Amino acid sequence: MALTSPELQALEEQVPRDIARTVTRGDRIFRTLCASAAAVSLFIIGGTALFLAIKAVPALQKAGLLSFFTTSVWNPTVGDFGVLGLLIGTIIIATVSLIVAVPLAIGLALFINEYSPARIRRILTSSVDLLAAMPSIIFGMWGFFALQAPLVGVASWLNLHLSAIPFFRLSEPDAPLLRSSFIVGTVVALMIVPIITSVSRDVMAQCPRSQCEAALALGGSRWGMIKEVLLPFGKAGITGAILLGFGRALGETIAVALIIAFTIEANPYVLEQGGGSIASLIAIKFPEAQDLEISALIAAGLALFGMTLLVNLGARAIVRRTQIAA
Amino acid sequence: MTTVQSPQTAETPAANRQLVSSEILPEELHPSSRIDATDVTCWFGKRKVLERCTLSMEPGEVTALIGPSGCGKSTFLRSLNRMHELVPVAAIAGTIELDGVDIYSEEMSPTEVRSRIGMVFQKPNPFPAMSIADNVLAGLSLSGMSNEDPKALVEQCLRRAGLWAEVSDRLNEGGMSLSGGQQQRLCIARALAVHPDVLLMDEPCSALDPISTRVIEQTIRELCEEITIVIVTHNMQQAQRVSDKCAFFLVESIGDPGRIVEAGPTAQVFENPSDPRTYDYVTGQFG
Repeated sequence: MALTSPELQALEEQVPRDIARTVTRGDRIFRTLCASAAAVSLFIIGGTALFLAIKAVPALQKAGLLSFFTTSVWNPTVGDFGVLGLLIGTIIIATVSLIVAVPLAIGLALFINEYSPARIRRILTSSVDLLAAMPSIIFGMWGFFALQAPLVGVASWLNLHLSAIPFFRLSEPDAPLLRSSFIVGTVVALMIVPIITSVSRDVMAQCPRSQCEAALALGGSRWGMIKEVLLPFGKAGITGAILLGFGRALGETIAVALIIAFTIEANPYVLEQGGGSIASLIAIKFPEAQDLEISALIAAGLALFGMTLLVNLGARAIVRRTQIAA
Repeated sequence: MTTVQSPQTAETPAANRQLVSSEILPEELHPSSRIDATDVTCWFGKRKVLERCTLSMEPGEVTALIGPSGCGKSTFLRSLNRMHELVPVAAIAGTIELDGVDIYSEEMSPTEVRSRIGMVFQKPNPFPAMSIADNVLAGLSLSGMSNEDPKALVEQCLRRAGLWAEVSDRLNEGGMSLSGGQQQRLCIARALAVHPDVLLMDEPCSALDPISTRVIEQTIRELCEEITIVIVTHNMQQAQRVSDKCAFFLVESIGDPGRIVEAGPTAQVFENPSDPRTYDYVTGQFG
């Protein structure tokens, strides 16, 4: 007699078997709906990039791909375009806004989570949410009419006392200080405070209570506990929050367009009148642009799209790496 | 607030505090401290969870707090180093004196109270982002103390916590790489590094296996020669093994606050309790 089946089985290497997956009709419909939603969002990202790329081609051909990114000119009549200055200007404004916003946002998050009494906490939380929902045109107008005068005072103080730092110098002693990158950056900072605050607040609230209590039980002050336990715990999430804010600041349009004294050239004198960003270029030039200039504006939009994408990818990479380390 | 003067106030608290504030004092000369809780009542919001508990925890002794769950043992323990007030709605009445000084008075800050009265929690909670050595030293940086020879301090504390032999060759590894029992001894070492006079332990072995438990119990017996220890435990054998003195907490009926039914030398509480409820509990009739 041949080998019996158990013996045969023992000789054969086992492979994973099929598992029957029966899906109910409701489940199948719902899954299709969710999958379509996912497909739509992918399509929007891909479609936008494709649209920008195609429409940008004429201007990029005319101006030359290299010189579009390495010069600072805007001359629609001869078809000469270059956005280097505006790319730098965009980063300058976003950096100023981060420098102002990060300490504010983290201080606010820590105050809400660690110091404020329950009643004030509720009020603060909802006003931060309200701030996030405020249209940027409101910030822009408020910044233009109400904030400029006091900020000019701050700017001249910074110039007077901290001119050892190159960024706080002026091109000439009596250069005008209104409508500067500094003022714009500060207004944009107020717009990105809510997102940084609420994300880092959520992250720090995740810190296990036992860790905080351990720090306090060792005789630590609240500040000691924040420094040794909360901030190290929230490091990755806070970095992510900051980069999210940076991404928003890069793309902020209307408040910048309203306040800045627009220049194509990059202006390294942050406190001084004049500056620009890609988004404000588009907002300012678009209403009257035609043909090739429209294509050039779209090319500028593509550059901004790429920059924001890079920042976001960078943010993800940093967050992921710190998560693994922790 | 009820204020009852304890007899120890005559011991000139100022002198004691000076001894503590000079951190150069060698460990051997460190005097043990006593805690006197008088008429301590605790609330969470409107709910009274503990009523008029009076208990003296003597220098160099291990005092065990026993009783069924939810009878206020942990609350009482946390009131002894001002951890109770970290719950926003918590309130307290009565006095708790460390060597005659009321720890809730203006004479002491919460951070001073907590660095003199250390705490080990139920679940081991080493700081995950820190190495073993940094965990031991965490209390110093948290409270802004400095130490001239941190290496020696790490070794001394790990030895006293009975962990040195197991970790001496990997002090720079993360604290979370240790087993549960080792983590708990790391937490004990961490608490010892700030030179507390008193160590509070909230069911320190309830998350551990019997072997780790035995090691920690040995550690407790060794430590109590220098440090006053108060331990909450559910395990009555453990209370008998490690404690010199016992306090039995009980909630009479649902909704009542917890009270101390009986306190006294451990042998007496277990072998010859004066209260029938204590007898029922320690002989396993309920709980």
